Formats: sequence, C-alpha cells, structure tokens
Amino acid sequence: MLSQILIQGFLLSGLYGLLAVGFTMIFSVGRVLNLAFGANIMIGGYVYFALAQEAALPKLPSFIGAVLAGVAFGVVTYLILVRRFRDDPIAVEISTLILAVVMQALIVMIFSPAPRSMWPLLPGVAHIYGVAVSLNIVLATVVSWVVLGGLLVFVHKTHLGRAIRAVSMDPKGATISGIDPRQISLVTWGLSGALGAMAGVFLATYTQLDPGMWVFPLITAVAVVIVGGIGSIIGSLIAAHIIGFMETITTTVIAAELRGVFTMLLIIIVLLVVPKGLFGREEI
Amino acid sequence: MGVLVSLRWWLVFGVGMCLLPLVVSTGTLRILVFAQFLAIFAMSWDILSGRTGYISFGHPFLIGIAGYTTAMLTYHLGVPLYFSIPAAVVATMIGSIFFFIPALRTRGTYFAVVTLAFMEVLYHLMQVVQPKLTGGTRGLSGLPTIILGAVPNYYLSFGVMFVIGVGLWLLIRTRLGTALSTIRMDEDAARSSGLNTTKLKLFAFMLSAFVAGIGGALYTHYLGSIAPRGIFDISFLFSILIAALIGGAGTIVGPIMGAYFLTLLLEFLRPYLPGPERYLIYGAITLLAYYYAPKGFHNIFGLLWQRLGALGRRE
Amino acid sequence: MTDLLEVRDLTKRFGGLTAVRNLGFSVSEGESLGLIGPNGAGKTTVFNLIMSELRQDSGELFFQGREISKYPTHARVKLGIARTYQVPRPFGEMTVTENIRMGMMPDDLWQMLTKGPQHDAERDIGKDVGFSEREVAMYPGELSMGNLRKLELARTIAAEPKLLLLDEVFAGLTVGEIAQISELLVEKRKQGLTYIMVSHDLRALAPLVDRVVVMSFGAIIAEGTFKEVIADKKVREAYLGQ
Ligand SMILES: Nc1ncnc2c1ncn2[C@@H]1O[C@H](COP(=O)(O)OP(=O)(O)OP(=O)(O)O)[C@@H](O)[C@H]1O
Ligand SMILES: [Mg+2]
Repeated sequence: MLSQILIQGFLLSGLYGLLAVGFTMIFSVGRVLNLAFGANIMIGGYVYFALAQEAALPKLPSFIGAVLAGVAFGVVTYLILVRRFRDDPIAVEISTLILAVVMQALIVMIFSPAPRSMWPLLPGVAHIYGVAVSLNIVLATVVSWVVLGGLLVFVHKTHLGRAIRAVSMDPKGATISGIDPRQISLVTWGLSGALGAMAGVFLATYTQLDPGMWVFPLITAVAVVIVGGIGSIIGSLIAAHIIGFMETITTTVIAAELRGVFTMLLIIIVLLVVPKGLFGREEI
Repeated sequence: MGVLVSLRWWLVFGVGMCLLPLVVSTGTLRILVFAQFLAIFAMSWDILSGRTGYISFGHPFLIGIAGYTTAMLTYHLGVPLYFSIPAAVVATMIGSIFFFIPALRTRGTYFAVVTLAFMEVLYHLMQVVQPKLTGGTRGLSGLPTIILGAVPNYYLSFGVMFVIGVGLWLLIRTRLGTALSTIRMDEDAARSSGLNTTKLKLFAFMLSAFVAGIGGALYTHYLGSIAPRGIFDISFLFSILIAALIGGAGTIVGPIMGAYFLTLLLEFLRPYLPGPERYLIYGAITLLAYYYAPKGFHNIFGLLWQRLGALGRRE
Repeated sequence: MTDLLEVRDLTKRFGGLTAVRNLGFSVSEGESLGLIGPNGAGKTTVFNLIMSELRQDSGELFFQGREISKYPTHARVKLGIARTYQVPRPFGEMTVTENIRMGMMPDDLWQMLTKGPQHDAERDIGKDVGFSEREVAMYPGELSMGNLRKLELARTIAAEPKLLLLDEVFAGLTVGEIAQISELLVEKRKQGLTYIMVSHDLRALAPLVDRVVVMSFGAIIAEGTFKEVIADKKVREAYLGQ
C-alpha cells in the first residue's frame, strides 16, 4: 500500500504541477486569476476527443490540435475580456467565470451533457515495484515533467522567458526597459492555454470527459497556488506534490469522494496560519 | 425626502405585482415564482458581495445548508415547518462562519475561490457522508409544501421577496449601509477612518446568510425536493451571480431586476430554441450584458433618469 | 507635560531591508513634532506602525501611557489617533461630504443604523479645510490633487483625534492652499490637537512644529528644534547624499 501511495501520488502530482503552473503564470504576469482556465482544461479534453475518437485522427496530431485550441482560447480570452477589464481584477475574474459557463453550455450543445469515456493515450499496464499503473498515466506524468522542465528552461534561459519574468516582477520597470507588457501577457495567456489544454487531455484520460469536469481541477489549481505561493513556479511544484500526495492518501485510505475535502481544509489552514509567507506580501 | 419618493416606487411595484395574477396565466406565475426566489438569493449575494466587495462564488453553499436542514428535519423527524424553517435559517447563519473566517485573512479572488471550494466540498459531503440522512446522490423528495397552487405560491414568494427587498434597500441607505460599502472601496482606509471592519463584515455575512436561509428553506419546500446536483451547481451559482451583476451589484433593486430579466429571458428563448442551444445563447447574452455594462441595468436607468431630469430642468 | 505617544525601540524589516531601526521618540500633549528625512527614510512606515497597518517586528508603542501594540487599527482611531495618507485614499464612490461622514462613524452598528448623519458638522469640517459649497458635493475623481489632500485632512479631523499623523499634506498644493491648511492646523493646535507632521516642504513645516526628528535609513540621526537640526552636519549629509 505504501508503494502504491508513493507511486500514484508522484504520478498525480506531476499532472497537478502542470495544472497549477499553467494557472499561476497568468497571475504572475497580469495579477489576475483566470477562471476560464477551467474552460481551457475542458476544451483540451473535448478537442482531443473530437479529433482522436470522433474524427479518428492519429493521436499525436490530435494532441497537438488540442493544445493549439488551448492556445487559441487563451489568447482570445486575453484579447477580448482581459483587455476590456484590465484595471479591475474582480471584473476579469467574473467575466472569465461567465465565459467558462458559456463554454460549458457550448460543449453540452455539441457533445451532449452525457459523460464520454476517452481511450488511453497509451494502452497497457506497467508494474512498478509491484504496483500496477496504467501506461497512460505514466506517459502523462513523463510529458508533464518534460513540459515543466522545458518551461523552466524557457523562462530562465531565453530572452522571451526573461522578459516574462521581468514583467512579473515589475511591470513598470519592464516597460521602461522596452518590453511591451501586453505582448508578454499575450504570450503568457497562450502558453497557459496550452498547459491547461494538455492537462485537460490527461485528466480526461484519467477519469472521463463531462461538461462539468473543469470545476474540480480549477479549484485544485487554485489550491496549489495558494499553498505554494502565488506566481512562483517552484512553489507551485512543491505544493502540487503536497496536494497530490494528500489526495492519493485520502483516496487509498479513506474514500475517493473525500479527496477534495482535505484539499479544501488545507487551503483554509494555510490561509489562516501563514497567509503572509504564501502571498509574498505583507498582510496583517 | 428622496427615500420617501423612492418608497412610492416600491409601492407601485408592490401593487402592480399583486394585481398581476388577475391578468396573466398560472404558467407565467409559476415562472415568476422562480424569478422571485432567484431575486431573494441574488439580494442575499448582493448584501454580502455587492456591498462589501467580498465576492462569493459559493452562495449555493449557504442556500444548501438551509435547504438540507429543513429537508432533513421534516423528512426524518416530521418536524413542523414553522420550526424547521427558522432552524434552517439559524443553521445557515452558523454555516456562514465558514465564509467569514477566510474573509478575515483573504480578499478578492482568494476569498471567491475559497467559497467556491466550500460549495464543492459540501456537494461531495452530501453524497458520501451519511447518505441515509441526506438521501445521497438522489437527495430527498416528497417534502411537505407550505401552500399549494400557483397563485398562493406566487403571493408567498413575492411577499417574502418584497419585504426582504424593502428592508435591505432601506438598510443600505443608512450609515451602516454606507459603512459596508467602504469595505469594498478601500478596507484599509475604512479601518483607519475608525471603522471596525471585522464587525461590519460579520454583520454583512450574517445578514446575507439570514436572507439565503429564508430563501433556501422556502425554495426547498416549494420544490418539495432537494438534491446535491440541483443546489451545489455552477449554473445555479451562475444565475445568482449574474442576476445581481447585470441588474446592478450593491443596489438591491438591481438584483431584483436582474432576476426577473434572467428568468424571463430564458422563458422568452424557449419557443425559439428548445434544445441546449438556449443555454448557450442565454450565457452569451449575459456575457455581452456584463461586457458592455458591468455596472448593470440599475446604473443605466440611473443615468437615463439623470439625463431626463437635466432635460426637464432645461425646459 | 505627559507623553501622549511614546515609541520605544521600534523595528520593522521588509525581508532584508530594515525600514525602521530601533526607533524611539515621544510627543507630549499639545506638542507638534516634525518628522523629516530623505526619501525612503522610513517615515511613512513609522506612521503605518503607529496605526497598526503594519505590525512591528519588535518594540513598543504607548499612547497615553497605555501599550497599544495589541490594538487593531480602528481601536487606535477610537483611542484618538488618526492619519492622512501620503497618496490620498478617498472612498471613490462617495462624495466629499460622505467621505467626511466616514470619519465620524459611531462604533456601534445599531447607532449606525438608526442615527442619521450630522450634516452640519460635516459641512463645517468641509468648510474648515477650504472646500466650497460646490466642491463638497463632488466625487474624488473630479477633485484636484490639492483638494484630495484637503479631503484626507478633513476625514481625519472628523474623527476628532487627539493625535494626528500628517503624511505630506502639503505636496501638490498651491501656496495659497498651504497657507490655508497651515492656518487650520494652528487653529486646531490651539484647541489642543497634537500632531506629527511629515513633509518634504521644510519651509512650510518649520513654523508649524515645535521640534523635529530627522530619520535616515530607518534610524534617528538628529533631534531638536528646526534651526538646530538644519544646522546639523549629519542631516545635511543625509539630504545631500541621496
Ligand atoms: N510594504 C512594504 N514592503 C516592502 N518594502 C517597503 C514597504 N513599505 C515601505 N518599504 C520600504 O521601506 C523603506 C522606507 O519606506 P517609507 O515609505 O517608510 O519611506 P518614507 O520615508 O516615507 O519615504 P518618502 O519620503 O519617499 O515617502 C523604503 O525603502 C521602502 O521601499
Ligand atoms: Mg512616505
């Protein structure tokens, strides 16, 4: 049982890392939370489903198609809603939440409200230290880590990545050094959309596709970000593991339905006990 | 003076709505009952979020506490309604402490998301923990109703909505109402003006829960059933939020207008779009409304009114 | 004279930066103190600490002999301390009068609910700081910087403080407005108000304070009458060195 918890916890955490990093990037650059990130997840899952299962395209192009759809959705959300409500974060959040609900209605219209099951990206089962894990999940974890690693390298080693960090640290200062924060935001929203869509494909193969599938991952992403410290990629990765393992333990030891309950408790405790350290700003 | 003039408008509205059953069908009245319950929920949201700026994305959490409390009391114990409904209101007010505690430490989106999380938690808990009591996924049905028939229910829901509406509307006109809105504008500056914002927030949360409790309990008995899917649901939350926002947050009158508008819009679309497209169009219309008028109809009417007034003076 | 406010060994760090370092000073009742120093010296931070808008890392605050470190902001206001903000922070959706009203709110929710506003007192305070009849009905968005500063002052005066913390009340004001505010402060002082004034406008500050404390890099480098500290070599270096 211990090895099962360890392995599954590790696998789940990779996916949560992907979710949370995709989500927190937007905050660190634009200081708003994108609640349509949930829609990104849903779009990733459904576009992949439509391409790979309904149109019977090969898996890799379908996956790329899903990611591109995520990028497009992220960029469009930024261009339409975020620019409109730029100086009012609450309005951005409300409008992105409305957008998520509208997207959910769109998905229901196209695909019906019934849950759909997705074929695994990679069929088969592997045995790791005596624990049976589906290859699909292993693939999802490996891809998540590769993407996250790539992202870290991108953010630290490339010009564009440095510009993104500059804007996230000090938008005014970045502007003075000749960076256009709007362009950077656009890139970030696109990237975040890609990560969300990817996570959506993986999540859908973990469980199933249904039009309400975005709420729980969205809350998980927020939880990870609150626990890990907002805007910090490394903090998010650490928190993703805390929450990933906690959920795995709850699922194996208590009951799968309660896994969210403990995550919520963790958020509340963190907010009450150490809000200062986590927000990285002074609060009484 | 201004208050008296506006109270006259409330009177006109009240009398008009009381005469409505003489002219419209019972089908329409049934639809209006939903609008009036939605208005109660939206006002509950408004007194908390519209006033103090602590945006709740988890209002169904409060409504669900009320609904489940009265449902379980009446279903299992046969408790009479005149006891179970007040008990539900008290339970909701106690439950709102779950919202209040995070509000001591967090603001803005964090608070909103924590409330959303509470809603999701309760959704899961109601299904898993003690399904014998809560009815599990299916919920409880066959609950006692307060009164029967479209017309009495119309009057009941309208009466409750009207009393709550006038009460809250008068309240936001007092200095207490103004003090609540300073929290939205600048909580730190409010504190350094000497306002005990913690106490004010607690008051707003309790009042909001009180209204949500009344609405939730009555609504549950109107429907005669309760289920987790129906209550702890994003689309339910969405209707509450949008009714308040496109009507005009923080104004109490706005959420009432918004609730009627949304309910009637959905009905108006029904003959043209019988399928799921309706919800897409409905959602898109609300998004557009919010996009172009984030302050809501109330504000637009207010501006029009001022224009007309200015024209009148120029004559 | 008894000390109205005493600050003892106050320290505040922001990460690696020590914004206030072992600071100690006191103001007696009826006295007026100038708090000056170059940009970033920590003056505003001291005000934030006195108002509990920031919590000190160490040190104590005494108001009328009572240790107030445990008091939240609003309770300190009720004790009789009020402040203005260097960057004015009016309530944006309220008129000038309504903003002033927020300074004179009762503590009790029931009184807020049942007692109407004191229109006369609000109007008087507005007039005192120099608002015209037309201006008191305006919204902060329509006000000039000078008027926003007056509004900051009006709201704090409305709270009837014993100790007033003035953070750069003269910045952005015309000569005429400075004279008007100065006159008002002199008047309030006669009525028993104590204040601590932070200002970069030393010429305007000089006649309004009995004593001056000079800060640099979070610590006090000089203390005395205005003439004394201005003559101090360390003070000149601190100002020139920036
Ligand atoms: N909340 C904060 N977080 C981090 N650093 C801060 C914070 N507030 C102030 N500082 C830093 O503390 C130092 C003192 O700032 P403070 O605003 O008190 O200076 P000041 O004397 O009021 O300067 P000025 O004359 O420019 O108003 C500055 O270096 C400032 O950057
Ligand atoms: Mg300062």
